[in-house]
Amino acid sequence: MIGALLLTGVALVGAGGLLCAARSSFRTGLSLEAAGAAAVAVAGFWALASGTSVGGTFTNHLTPRLGLDPLSGLFLGTLGLVGAPALCFARDYLRPTGKDRAVGSLTAGFLLAMVGVLCARDPATLLAGWELMTLLPAAVILVAHQEDRHARQSVFTYLAVTHLGGVGTWVAVLLLARAGAIGSPGVIHAGSGLQAVVVVAALVGLGTKAGVMPLHVWLPRAHPIAPAPVSALMSGVMIKIGIYLMVRVLVDWAGPLPVWLGILVLATGALSAVGGVTYALFEHDLKRLLAMHSIENIGIIVMGIGACVLLRNRGADGWAALALGAALLHTVNHAVFKSLLFLCAGAFERMAGRLDLDRLGGLLRRVPVVGGSFLVGSMAIAGLPPLNGFASEWLTLQALVHVPRYGRVADGLAGALALGALAATAALAAFCFVKVVGLVLLGSPRRDPPVDARQPSAGMAGAVAFLALACAALGVAPGVLLARLVGLAPWSAGLPVGMGLRLPGTGSLPSPAIAVLLIVLAGALVLLRGRGRAAAPAAPTWACGQVVSRRLEWTGAGFTKPLRLALEVVLRPQRDVVSRQEAGVLQEVGYQGQVPHLIEERVYAPTHRLAMAAATRLRRLQSGNLGTYVGYLMGVVLLLLVAARLGLV
Amino acid sequence: MGGATLAEASVQVCGGVLGAPLLPGLIQAAKARLQGRRGPGPLQPYRELRRLWSKSTVEVEGATQVYRWAPATVAACMVAAVLLVPAAGVAPGWGVGHDAFALVGLLALARFAIAAAAWDTGNGFSLMGASRDLTISVFMEATLVLSLGVASLSAGTTDLRGVVAGTAGGGAWATPALALAALAFGIVVVAETGRQPVDNPDTHLELTMIHEGPLLEYAGRDQAYLQWAAAARHWIVLVIAAQVFLPHGRTVAVQLVALPAVLAVLAGALAVLETVVAKMRVLFVPRLLGVGSALALLGVAAWLAPR
Repeated sequence: MIGALLLTGVALVGAGGLLCAARSSFRTGLSLEAAGAAAVAVAGFWALASGTSVGGTFTNHLTPRLGLDPLSGLFLGTLGLVGAPALCFARDYLRPTGKDRAVGSLTAGFLLAMVGVLCARDPATLLAGWELMTLLPAAVILVAHQEDRHARQSVFTYLAVTHLGGVGTWVAVLLLARAGAIGSPGVIHAGSGLQAVVVVAALVGLGTKAGVMPLHVWLPRAHPIAPAPVSALMSGVMIKIGIYLMVRVLVDWAGPLPVWLGILVLATGALSAVGGVTYALFEHDLKRLLAMHSIENIGIIVMGIGACVLLRNRGADGWAALALGAALLHTVNHAVFKSLLFLCAGAFERMAGRLDLDRLGGLLRRVPVVGGSFLVGSMAIAGLPPLNGFASEWLTLQALVHVPRYGRVADGLAGALALGALAATAALAAFCFVKVVGLVLLGSPRRDPPVDARQPSAGMAGAVAFLALACAALGVAPGVLLARLVGLAPWSAGLPVGMGLRLPGTGSLPSPAIAVLLIVLAGALVLLRGRGRAAAPAAPTWACGQVVSRRLEWTGAGFTKPLRLALEVVLRPQRDVVSRQEAGVLQEVGYQGQVPHLIEERVYAPTHRLAMAAATRLRRLQSGNLGTYVGYLMGVVLLLLVAARLGLV
Repeated sequence: MGGATLAEASVQVCGGVLGAPLLPGLIQAAKARLQGRRGPGPLQPYRELRRLWSKSTVEVEGATQVYRWAPATVAACMVAAVLLVPAAGVAPGWGVGHDAFALVGLLALARFAIAAAAWDTGNGFSLMGASRDLTISVFMEATLVLSLGVASLSAGTTDLRGVVAGTAGGGAWATPALALAALAFGIVVVAETGRQPVDNPDTHLELTMIHEGPLLEYAGRDQAYLQWAAAARHWIVLVIAAQVFLPHGRTVAVQLVALPAVLAVLAGALAVLETVVAKMRVLFVPRLLGVGSALALLGVAAWLAPR
């Protein structure tokens, strides 16, 4: 039954993709794709809830085999949960032009490639799906920005970095297959060299795809330039496929890992979380900012996996399972709120024409449903109760504090450092999203609204409202999902979890009660406020008696300045103040500032220069003269003959 | 519900909701005395609240519902936090649990709400205060979580009731872990209550305000909610300081009886601190809190070392 539902979903997505290609059936095609995604979601969550496996089991041979187990089910469910609203949104966001029709069809292929990776039960299908999943969004971006040279360059950076890093995935998967460890944990000995190679290769390969620092450089380039629904799918689902395989390899197939590997995983997660959110804070473009936040959230998820690895190593199986549950819960939560935010960004872009944060403003009043949903998503990603981001971050904090409890000095201190890093990350995320909410939704428009400001259609508003409701539901009742996620650990944990999060060794997070209390109290206090003396007539904001004009408005750069100064030693921000004087009188002051990404400047830029220099040298070999090439061939043949004679080959 | 729980419940609710304004009042009164002024009495915050309650609220031109809901949200978060922080080793459930990290979330929600309201009005001074508050919060939250983490490691749970019980008596002070965490938490207390050297609660100069800045645009009952919330914040952190990070008795009765005295002493200590220390440059505050984080990490190391 689950299998039939999944096949129906896949068929619907495929048929929808074909229909998209024709102008007349474009919207029908996208509707079919959305219906297919919904069917995939139902099948996936059904498999998770019932704990059933369908189809084949894992094999180390290269014969194609497909199947579905509860862990795949969770990620398929997430894919559908995000995909269905994103495609509903796309029905009104995309128009049946040649470009957008191609985008609609390629999106179907993109979805199917991801389903392929999640259902693959053999190395060949897995790697094939993996490569398709990387290539198809690149095709979407290239189609959507045919004339834009800058976008093409970003796509090539994306392809170059993901393919160079992707080598790690191939190495890890093929080594696992050779050892016969795919689907059978315990084959690789704990502490062996093979295990270390597999895990490090997997971290590099899967980490590149997931956007873990310092392998993240492609992410803030590629995600923002895709059309909004595809950005939502990339940030919401595609990078999570990296997490899916990371869970498979690190937690299951490669067996219990030694402490140092656990610390490595934890450190990568902490670096991504803090680094991602810090650079997000200084972004000026909404979609780039959201992309940087994906790096942060992937970091939080990876921290959960790291805590799981360390706790498992110390024999704390119960909390290891909860740490895994925390990582998986945050995976689902991030998929929901990040796709919500990207879709809202798409709607805003349609209204305002561009997404420069300092030029938006006042959108909550103009588009209440989309604006309100954006506010909910922002509070969720900022990790504020009673929304879903807080539930999973709370659980991750709990998992991290249990690392020192069960660990020794090295892993204990690593756990404590990660605990502090996560707390700072949450505060930074709140800082960042106060800025975003303020600049985008609140106040008055920071420039005149464009003439053709279109209201988002009912379909677009409905899609984001659905995702906002999902944020609230997952925040109020995280325990319903968590109970299933804890069961996904390859070892039995058997912890009781309620609707909220009642866990032993913690003060519990009864999220339904907290949500009700906060809403009832705040509502009552707002009512009481109105019962007092009649409100005075509305007054302009206080500016020391000056007339409030647009020139007094704050910018995002001004708001984040204290932090920029506090972190100056690490971030090394650049600023440039140009003043123009005429006859000793100051006429104009121009300010330009930016926070350069240190990893790009210090690691990638020198590597890039070196590679280009080497390429220039090597180019001398390419003379274009046929005679020279014949000479090269002769030389190679001669060398081989000599080597054969000497017995080297 | 046993007698001890009932007694704790009444102390927690009466003290946290009704008695909280007494804490800033005491600090103000003691500070005035120390500085050779007569100053207002310790009940002054109550008079302020009564005055504000009967005044009318003011709407800001162009503001949205976010401006209207922010003070109520801040006050609701503080009520939930007061219910969450037990005044002794036992406490009724109240439905919100007693988790240390959940408290961090509630404080963050309050901060988010008031900073969003600052953006809503577009008031430059409010935004200046909010941006400084959020900058400090980055370092404050790390220190807070780490110091609470050390306490929870010593006690074996993050349930604050369990933490109060687990750190009672002399046993928890055998290693320097809790003492180091207490130093770190002391810095958090100063930052979270907005006292010198981090912030100056008496300032009337908008340019130097941190916590007071976002309150500028509010009047009437909105302002009353916000001022009560600031007082409740004193109660929350000082109760944790008294019952976790200072030596306290093993039995609930001793804990509850000693609490008012310890709170008064802590208020006096804050008054002394405000008198002898000048406000530091706002950019040095992150460094101070960084020291706090380092102390708390040392606390974790001290807790791990004997194992």
